[in-house]
Formats: sequence, structure tokens, C-alpha cells
Amino acid sequence: MKKKQTVTEEPVEMHPSDFPHGDEEEQLGAPKKPKRMKASEEEEVVYHPVKLSRSDLYRPPTAEELNHLKEAESLFHCSLLKMQMEELLKEVSLSERRKQQIDSFVKTVTKLLETVPVSPKVEVSDLSWLSGTVKVPFLLVPKVTKGKFHMAPPASVDLIGSYPLGTCVKPHIKVDLAATIPADVLHPKDFLNQRYPRKRALYLAGLAQHLRSSSDVGELRYSCLHGNRLKPVLLLSPPGKDSSSFTVCVHACPPPGFFKPSRFHPQRNNIRTEWYTGLQASHDENSEPPTPHYNGSILGDLLPRAHLQFLSAIGSQCSAFSDGVALLKVWLHQRELDQGAGCFNGFLASMLLAYLLMNHRISNTMTAYQLLRNSLNFLASTDLSASGISLAKDPDSTAPSLAEFHNAFQVVFVDPSGHLNMCADMTASTYKQLQHEASVSMQFWDDPTVDGFHCLLMTPKPMIRTSDCVFQLCDLVKLQASCKKQNLLSELMDHSGNYVQTVLPFLLALLQQGLNQRIHLLTHSLSPDPEWSVERETPKYKAQPPLSFGLLLNPELAASVLEKGPPADSPKAAEFRQLWGSRSELRRFQDGAITEAVLWDGKSAYQKRLVPNQIITHLLQLHAGIPVSCVRFVGTMVDDVITTGNEVPSTGEEESLVVVQSYDDLSRKLWKLEGLPLSITAVQGAHPALRYTQVFPPEPVRLDYSFFEREKTCRFLVPKEGKPCPHYLTPITVICHMEGSGKWPHDRTAIRHIRAAFHISLAEMLKKHHNYTCLPCPTHLDVWKDGLVFRIQVAYHREPQVLRESVNAEGLLVVRDNEEAQVLEMATIHKPLLTSTLHGLQQQQPCFGAVCRLAKRWLAAQLFSEDITEDTADLLVASLFLQPTPFTPPGSPQVGFLRFLRLLSAFDWRNNPLVVNLNKQLTAAEYTEIKNDFMASRESLPVMFIATPTDKKMSLWTRRAPSVQMLQRVMTVAAESLKVLEQQLMDGSQIQDVRVIMRPPLDAYDVLIHLNPKQVPLLRHAVDAPVVTFSRGVMTNGADQAGGAFPVVDYNPVSLYLTELREAFEDLALFFCDPYGGTVISVLWKPKAFVPAPFKTSHMAARSVEVTGGEVKTIPNVEAILEDFRVMGKGLVKSVDARTEKWMF
Amino acid sequence: MAPSKKKHATKQACVTPEGFAVLPLQFSPDSAARHSLYVKEHKVRAEKTSCRPLDRTLFVLNIPPYCSQSVTQDLFSKFGVVASVELRDVPGSSQESGPKLPKIFRPAAKQGFKVGYVVFESSSSVTAAKSHPHDESLVVSTEQKPVKTGVQKWIQHYTKSIIHPDKLQQTVDSFMQDYDKRQEKEAERQREEAEKQQEDEEGWVKVTRGHKGAKARPHSEAANQRTLQREARKKRRKELMNFYTWQHKNTQKEHIAELRRKFEEDKQRIALMRAQRKFKPY
Repeated sequence: MKKKQTVTEEPVEMHPSDFPHGDEEEQLGAPKKPKRMKASEEEEVVYHPVKLSRSDLYRPPTAEELNHLKEAESLFHCSLLKMQMEELLKEVSLSERRKQQIDSFVKTVTKLLETVPVSPKVEVSDLSWLSGTVKVPFLLVPKVTKGKFHMAPPASVDLIGSYPLGTCVKPHIKVDLAATIPADVLHPKDFLNQRYPRKRALYLAGLAQHLRSSSDVGELRYSCLHGNRLKPVLLLSPPGKDSSSFTVCVHACPPPGFFKPSRFHPQRNNIRTEWYTGLQASHDENSEPPTPHYNGSILGDLLPRAHLQFLSAIGSQCSAFSDGVALLKVWLHQRELDQGAGCFNGFLASMLLAYLLMNHRISNTMTAYQLLRNSLNFLASTDLSASGISLAKDPDSTAPSLAEFHNAFQVVFVDPSGHLNMCADMTASTYKQLQHEASVSMQFWDDPTVDGFHCLLMTPKPMIRTSDCVFQLCDLVKLQASCKKQNLLSELMDHSGNYVQTVLPFLLALLQQGLNQRIHLLTHSLSPDPEWSVERETPKYKAQPPLSFGLLLNPELAASVLEKGPPADSPKAAEFRQLWGSRSELRRFQDGAITEAVLWDGKSAYQKRLVPNQIITHLLQLHAGIPVSCVRFVGTMVDDVITTGNEVPSTGEEESLVVVQSYDDLSRKLWKLEGLPLSITAVQGAHPALRYTQVFPPEPVRLDYSFFEREKTCRFLVPKEGKPCPHYLTPITVICHMEGSGKWPHDRTAIRHIRAAFHISLAEMLKKHHNYTCLPCPTHLDVWKDGLVFRIQVAYHREPQVLRESVNAEGLLVVRDNEEAQVLEMATIHKPLLTSTLHGLQQQQPCFGAVCRLAKRWLAAQLFSEDITEDTADLLVASLFLQPTPFTPPGSPQVGFLRFLRLLSAFDWRNNPLVVNLNKQLTAAEYTEIKNDFMASRESLPVMFIATPTDKKMSLWTRRAPSVQMLQRVMTVAAESLKVLEQQLMDGSQIQDVRVIMRPPLDAYDVLIHLNPKQVPLLRHAVDAPVVTFSRGVMTNGADQAGGAFPVVDYNPVSLYLTELREAFEDLALFFCDPYGGTVISVLWKPKAFVPAPFKTSHMAARSVEVTGGEVKTIPNVEAILEDFRVMGKGLVKSVDARTEKWMF
Repeated sequence: MAPSKKKHATKQACVTPEGFAVLPLQFSPDSAARHSLYVKEHKVRAEKTSCRPLDRTLFVLNIPPYCSQSVTQDLFSKFGVVASVELRDVPGSSQESGPKLPKIFRPAAKQGFKVGYVVFESSSSVTAAKSHPHDESLVVSTEQKPVKTGVQKWIQHYTKSIIHPDKLQQTVDSFMQDYDKRQEKEAERQREEAEKQQEDEEGWVKVTRGHKGAKARPHSEAANQRTLQREARKKRRKELMNFYTWQHKNTQKEHIAELRRKFEEDKQRIALMRAQRKFKPY
């Protein structure tokens, strides 16, 4: 940290003369409070703007200080980022205490290893020298091995890897220890036919047996290095309570230079087919298939010390080397790229930095920040799968060339010796993923509107939240069959029987070819390194967790149902037919072309989203022999909760479109009306259904007239008392602005009457010209059209202004903001604007609406819909699309929903405003301005602060709700839901019921009011489909034609009841209910209301008096209140369940 | 406020301090739980309006939402003939209302617990109400006069909320005619005021004290603000910037101070984040 000499930590003495009135006082605007930044007050730490005393601010600067200030200003767009990185490094680096612990433990282990007893020489297959409890960490395929083996103390024990280099980071501290196998245990020909790896495993077992007897070593486990079963390692943890703080990883190595590196040329063969298959074959070594992966894995054992020397030589030249590596490691870890088979681990990260230093891509004087930036830039711009790089300065003549490496491996990064490809196990698609991540990071790094540090290093990117679509291969044993089908015997031999790693590149290539334009990126999970106790047998390959694949979809093409191939007569047609098999057909298109094509099924948007699924299962079955039952498609599991539709399952896109089209028609007709006293200046939708975000979009209905009571004079329908509550018809709000004119009165009641007159004349004209049934009211005009109801509200743009004006006692015209005006502005200005803006966003991002619907369904089910309103939720979702960093905009509803939950739970609402840059209108300067304003008046602003281009200071949408307590609860529930859901999605063995996250726990509430399902109009939308359904007076097929009696609109007993309850008991209790078919109202008493209070005439609602010892106190009259619940909801309430045992008063 | 002195020997009215008597109230004859109404004679030092005569008015607290004006009137007619009932959200003096609006144009009233001012025909009813025995409760909904709640009430409301367009048109028309008349009168009055300010033929202006709010110049708060701002701008324009050496020095000093301030703010923010353990990447 940069320090300043005289920054006082104690409260600054302030004299009036110190602060003359000036802008400085206003800018700081700090409350006169001493700084409180102690860790003990962690919960309550609030950001208070600092106040430096005048003498501090205007002190003559020293040269050093000026430098610091300038550096911070010029190097980083905000000095904050620099400081944040320094703080992060402090968090991940090892403490001195921990280092001492490690050193002493390593010393003990080294001593123990040196005392390993010597055992007599026996045949390799003879395991009698090993006590039965410790097993050998090796899969013996095939079983026969030649050679002799005996146990002897290691020739040397050295620290290798990240710990001696100083690049070791928390968590999962791993200290690598290399035990050199004495030369007489090995034979110079041992590199052949897995003899060396087997002896190595035996040697490790011997070490394990010896260490097991010591009390200085805690638990002993085997693992294998980056999933390579040829290279088992022994994991030791310290005894006692430190056991989880770090692990020591013992590698066994041959003596340096024991084997000649030239033996391990990627084109040479070191596993004989005859030995591997047990069949007699040709004896000619040259005709044997090359075994590059096997060669590489043995060669890798020879070099760790050389690599350590190389890295420490490089690292000593560059002061920030270890910090740079640490940052890069954190970056990789957050992206799940640093562990498992074929990963880009910390070692490769160090080597990459070394490469950049050697090639002067970065200089020795750069800071850790710059090292990270340059290495990401390099990764983003260089494709190691096409043009590999080498660290070897002057390789000897036997070293293979880069081209030879490229022939054998997908990704090439050659080590300093020139013989080893360090990225041997990496698939091209992993490298592509790395490149993609690096380029995404580079894109937002310089964006001042993004919290770069947070996105870069603090946000975890698990596959389920990163990829638009995820699918898993569950039964890995089936991959053996695909190896056979693809004829991959020699590759299988090269990978020593690891069929998963063998077949993976082929599967990836196949899927890439099949999905082609539909995806931007195909990623796969890196199978984690297995760990098992030394007493257990080595786990088989099939015991690995399922292999997951992630797709990053191309929104334009992903859902297309047609795969158009080459013309029938072109030579490529055969290739196309070969790929798609029987699905490929000859088709004639409108332009006359006759081409090969594949047509997938899919009518609704929901079904079209499943097209990639169809492709994947088809290709895997056709070419890899993987049955459908093994493929688990996770991409659309959550969509299930908002699916409707009987014949064609749909998630609401089609229904919304019908509504929008009907609205467009109405809007056109309104514009064309002639003969109104004032002309229409704007027709704007102001309803979620008009921006595709209504959870269950209104569906056109046809009325069953006999179900209703009929009002004769005005020809409208009324619900019948004995019948179930009729179908709920949502009025779709449309705002109709009238032109401003001197004819409008300047008086609030008069304007209201004029509006009513407009409603009447609009109704008459719509009836006359288009024969729509209309019902004018003073506040709105309902139009019954195409089986939908539109609620037109006439608006006058100066009305809010009129509402704000009043004449005070002195006759002065004053303008005061008031609630009435705010509500009106919200309805006639802000909501229509938001609706049209989000409608635009939906046009760019086809799954925006579906994400909103999922998010709002979840909020409603968890009883939060009163606190996070529809508009707020839509804005939150919009922010996921407008500022997706560090992700890409969600390409499927499910991933969007997961990120929504993450946003709710992880965003720091207390200290940050959420800026939703609608239409990209905000500039960087405005972002800063918003942030500063927010900081300055945090306490008076809503707890959830959302800024938009039209609303930078107020957070209009969250002004009323949520409260602190509710937001806190929303955050906890969101975090919990996310956890449960992600676990369930990624683990096919759990019970698959995504609705679990939609069932709120009800035991936290004090009273439950159970409703009569008959009177709950939206019952069919309930989370768990109802057992009984009621006839609600509508017919399912087709929409009503114009004319006929006016239907029952906006009649929902549940919401009427809730309104009444809230108005009557708002001081005493909170009421929660799922608006979409919830049949329970949960009531929570407000604890404050139940504290006995003194008698006050203004505060007596539903309270009773208690006289105790001359003191008069009032408490709520609970008995009577419960009775009122029943009385007020007569006919709707089934029972009131008071959970008296929970009450504490 | 002395507690009521009239206590019956046998059936005692329950009296709480501050002079309130308790009237139990239950919704229907078979309801188990009761609300308690708190009643007292209406007493204020200065009652401005005549609609709450001091001796005949009963002040009632805690009237449940299902007791509308008419229901309350029925409830209290037990104690004597009720002249009027006024229900309010909070106690306070009655407001003067503007032109009487039809119900449909009034904003929807809150349906919560209310306080009421019940005006009886005779003052003896007030005492009768206050001395009502506390174990005998008033019943809101009886067989003769059922009070509709719940689904029945909502359906009724829904039906009532719909008005025939012609009727609506009539209401609007009559209001607007009324409004136009008022506007005309107002315009007339203003014209007269203006006339009075005119010079007569000899150049004299008659200065009279007009009544409040009749200023010739339209004047508002916003206009006042604008004038003040204009003045301030003028003042600022007269000053010269960066003219003297000391002014220049000051600007540089300000710049450094700004940098320092920003640096300090960042440091504080970091301290805060560290306190919240915001740097743990996982």
C-alpha cells in the first residue's frame, strides 16, 4: 500500500476557520463523525466519505508522493484496481506461519523417507513384500510385466514445483516433493511397455507403507498427476488439526538423465502392440504406431528439477514474477481451467510468463498487474493449437520439430529442453476456451463502466453458469464401445487404456462439425484427479464423474430447425450424408435449389431450443454408439416451470407474440381515429405482456355466457355468487397520450373529467368503426378485442405538473412533489418507456423474455413478488444482458435464470448501485457521477438501488420496496436456491425436481390463511399442478369475435382480499402470497407492533387495552384479528391456521 | 379529562383512563372474538365547524373495516337517533371539501380501521352509549340486517363499479358546465381587478388593498428562484479567473488536493472491503 506521511487516523480536529464555506465542504459533505473502520464492527461498516483536514489537503507535496499519485492516475484507470489487486495478493499468498509449518513438515517427511528399509529383490509381479493393507496405485492392463523390483531409500528428496518457486497460492496448498528412485531399482530398458510406470507405482506403495507406520504423518491418499493414471502420486497431510491446511504431494522420479530424451520422440513407439494386445504381431519397430502421450508422460518425470531451475532463474530477474503467476492462477481457478486432465495449470502459467519474459513480450520491471494483462493479451491473440511455441533456445539435433509436435498433439507448448510438449493432454477445445476467456477479459478490462477487478478475479465461472447449454455423458463405460466403433486401438494404447481421454478429442471434433454455426464455443469439463485412500484399489476409469460439455450458442442460428447441406450433385454431399446418416434427405427449396438437408422437429420456441439436443443425441448415437439414455441434457430443465400449452409445449413466446400483434393492430386503429377533439400524440404499451415478460401471457379466450350473471342495461357480465371464480382476464394497459392544448383545463378534477369524456368518445368510435365492445370508466377504457382485454388510459403530459402545483397562504405558486404526481408519472411516463425499451432488448436477445418469466415465477413462488416488483425484476434481468461481464449474454433461459439468482445473492447492494445501461445511453462519466451521488447519500436511498439512463439519482422502481429485511431474505433464499438448483442440474443421481426451489418453506410464518381453490382464479398456474380444476366460464378453442356482452375483467378475489388485509392491518402484519395460483396467504406479525404500547387515540386500530397496576397498555387484539381474517374473506378463506406455538409475546 | 362519573351499580361500563369507555363489538351473533370500540364525548377546545356539535357528538375509536358509514349508523341508533356519522382514517378536524364529487371520481378510500364521529339528535344518547355494559356487545351483522363481506361484497363492488356510459357522460357534462361557470366568474373578477389598476384620465392610479391572492403580476416560487439565480450568475461573471498569480497557484493546489482526496477515498473503500472480506476470491 502506498502510504502518506500524515494521514491521521484519529478524528481530525476541526475549527470553523479550517473550513470556510466553499465547494469543498459540499463535495465532501461528510457527517462529523470519527472514522470507524474496525474489524469488530464488520457488520455495520458503512462507507463514510473521508474528510481530510485542510492542512493535509493543501500541504506541499513531496516528489515521491506526486509520483505515487501520478502513477495511480496514469497507469490504471482507477487506482482502486491497483490497490484491489494488492489486497487480493495478500489474501492468496501464504503466511510466514504457514510456511514454517510446511517447512517443518517437509523436513520430517524427508527424514522418514530416508529411512525406508531396503527389501530383497523380487519379480515385479510378486507383491509379497508389501503388507496387504497398502495397495499399489496402478491399473494393471495388461497384467504381465517383466523385470525385478526392490525397495530402497530414495537417492534424494527435493522440493519441486510452485512452493520453492514462491508461486504457491491458497486455497488447496500443494507442496510437491520429488523422491528420486535409486538407479539400481530401475533398468535402462524400463521405458518400454509401462515397466517404469509400474515400478514407480510400486515404489510409491513402498513409501506409503513406510510412512503409514509413522505418527508424524496424517492421512495418506493416492492421486494421479492431472488425471494421468501412469503417474500416481502420494498425498500426505500433516497430522492433527492442521490436516486440511495443506497437502504434500510425493512424486517418484527416475534419476536425472537415466533415460535418453531422444527415446521419447513423439513419433517413436514405446508400447508394443504385441505386449498390449497379447496377440502375435509384426516385430518391426518402425511399423508400430507412435505413442506420443506415453512418451511424454515418462519424459515429464525426468525434467521437474530442470524446470524448477529454469523458472527460478527467470523468476529471479523479474521482481513481480511470483505475483503475476499468482494472479494468473487465481484467474484460471475462477474459470475452472487449472485442475483435472488436460488443464492449464499453475506450472503452465509460470512457463507462459517465462516465455513472455524470454521473448521480451514483457519486461522485468513490470508490475503484477501488467504481467497479468500481457499474458492474457498473448493468450487471446495466439492460437497454440495452430502455431505452437517453444521455450527451447537451442534444442539439440535429436529434439523433434514443432511440426512433429503438431502432428502428435492438439496444443503445443514445448519446454526448455525441447523434447517435451507441456500441453500434451490438453484438447484443442480447452485451449479455445482459454483463448475465449482471455479475449473476453481483455474486452472488459479497459471498460470503465465495469468493475474490472471483480469480473476478472473475483467471479467464479462454473460451467453451468457460463455455458448456455450443458449436457453430460453419464455412463462412461459406454465410451469403450465408441473407441471400438471409431477404431482407436493405437490411440487407446498410447493413453494406456484411458478410453475417456482417448475418445474425447474425437467426440469434440464430431460435435463441432455437427453443431458448426450454431455454437460459438464448445467446452468440456476436465475430469478431476481422483483421490483414494492407500488401502483402496485404484478406481477404474468408469468411476469418474460424468463428462460435461458446455455450449455457447449463437442466438441467431442455434434454434434453426433446418440444416441445409450442399447441393445434391456436389462432391461434398457424400460427406454430409455420411455425417447425418439417415436423417439427411434431399429437399427442394423455394429458390429452386435441390440440396441435402436435415430437418429437426420444433414448432414453438421452447421446442426449437431443444434442436441442439436432437443433433447431439443423433450424432453420438450414429457415430459413437452412445445410446440416448447416456446423454443427459441439462439445458432446458428449469424451463419446465413456465411451460404452458396443451398440444405444443411452449414457454410463452408464441402467446406473447399474439398479444403484441393484437396490440399493434389496436394501436394502428387508434391512430387512424378521426374526429376526436384533440389528436393522439402517442400510443404506448405499459404492460409486461407487451414486452414479452409476463410470466403467463394472457391467452385469447372465448366466453361461456351461461356461466355468468348478465347485467341487462349496460350489457356486461358479472360473476355469479355460487360458481367458482371466473377466468381472470388481465387488462393489458395501453397509454394513449393526447396532444397538449390550451383547451385542457388547469385544474386536477377538471382534467380528470376531461379524461373521462375522452374515454367515452374513444369507446363510441371504436364501437362504431370496429365494433369492439368497450366499457369506459373515469380512469380508463376497457376494450374487448380478439379474446383479450386492453385497458386504454388517456394521459395528458402536463397533468403531473398540475398535481404538483398549489397556491400557498401568501398566494405564492409553489411546486411540491407529491405521491399522487409520482404515481401518475410512473404510470404514464416511466412504465411505457421501460416497456418499449425492454421490448427493443427482446428483439436483440431472443431469450430475454423467457429469463424474465423464469425469474418472476421464482420470485412469485417464493412470495417476493410484492417486494421485487415486476418492473424491478425485468430491470435486473435486463442488466444481465446489458452487462454480462465476465460472461457472455445469456443464450438460454436457464443460464439467465441462474445468473439472475447469482446477481440477487452476490451483488453488494449496500455499497454499490446497479447501473442498467438501457440503450447504451450512459457514458463512463455518467457512471462515475451515479456512483458518487450514490455514495454521498447512501443512507437516504433505497436499499436496492437501480439506476437507469432516465433515472440516475432516485431509483424509481425500488423506492417503495424491498425493505432491508426483505432484501436480506431475498438474498439468502436466492443463494440457497442457486446452490440447490446447480447441484441438482450437475448431478444426475439426485432426485430431479427443479420445482424444489419454487416451494417456499412456510414454517417461518405466524398465521397461514388457506384459500378455497374454487375462488383462486389462477389456480392452474400453481407451481405444483392442482389435482382438481374448475370450470371458469371460458372455452379453450379460439378467440371471441368482436361484439357480445362485456366480460368480467380484472376480478381476482385473492388480490382484492390481500389489498383489504394490507390496508386494515399494515401496522401489525405482513402478508405474502404467490399471485400465480397460490392457495395460502402467509402472515408474519410485526414484532414491533406486539410490544405493549401506551394508549394513543391515533394508534388504536385492532388493539385492546390492558390495565396492569395502574398502567394502561395496548396490545393487538389477536383473537379478533383472526376472526376478521375469516370475516373479511368470507367465501374465499377455507381455514385460518394460527401457529400460536411460535408466538413469543 | 375526568373519567365518567356515571357508573351503574349492577351493569358497569368498562372505563379506561383518558375518559374512554369500552364498547365490545362482534361481527355476527355467533362470533367468538370481539373488538373493543373506545368511545368518548367529543371534546376539543376550538371546534370550527358546526357539523360536530360538542354536546351531541360521540368520538369512536377502532371501528373495523367492515363497518361502513351506514352500518355504523345502524349500530349506534341503538342509543338514540343518529343525525350523522363521519368516518376518518385518523382523528382530526374535519376538512372542508371542494365541490362535491360523485363517488366514481373520488379516489378510492382506504379500507382500514377508522375513527368515527357519531352525531346524535340528543345529548342523552352520548351518555347512554358511554354507559353501555361492557359484557354485552354490539352486533354488526344480524339476520335482519346482514352485512356483506368477502366474495359477496367483491361481486357487489364489481357490479357497482361499472357505470352506464350515458350516465358517466351526464356527470362529466354537468361538472364541466359548473367548472366553466366558475372559470368565467374568476376571469371576470380578475378583469375587474385589472381595471381598477388602470390610470384614470388624469393619470392617477387608485391603489386599493385587494384581497389575498389577487396580485397583478403572476408570481410563483419558481420565478423567484430564477431571479435569484440570475443575480448570482451576474455576480460570478464579473470575477476574473486565473488572473493573479495567487489564483493560479490556488488552482494547482486544488488539483493536488483533488488527487489526494481521490486516493484517500479509494483507500477507505479498500479498508471497507477488506473489513467485509471482499478480497477472498473463493
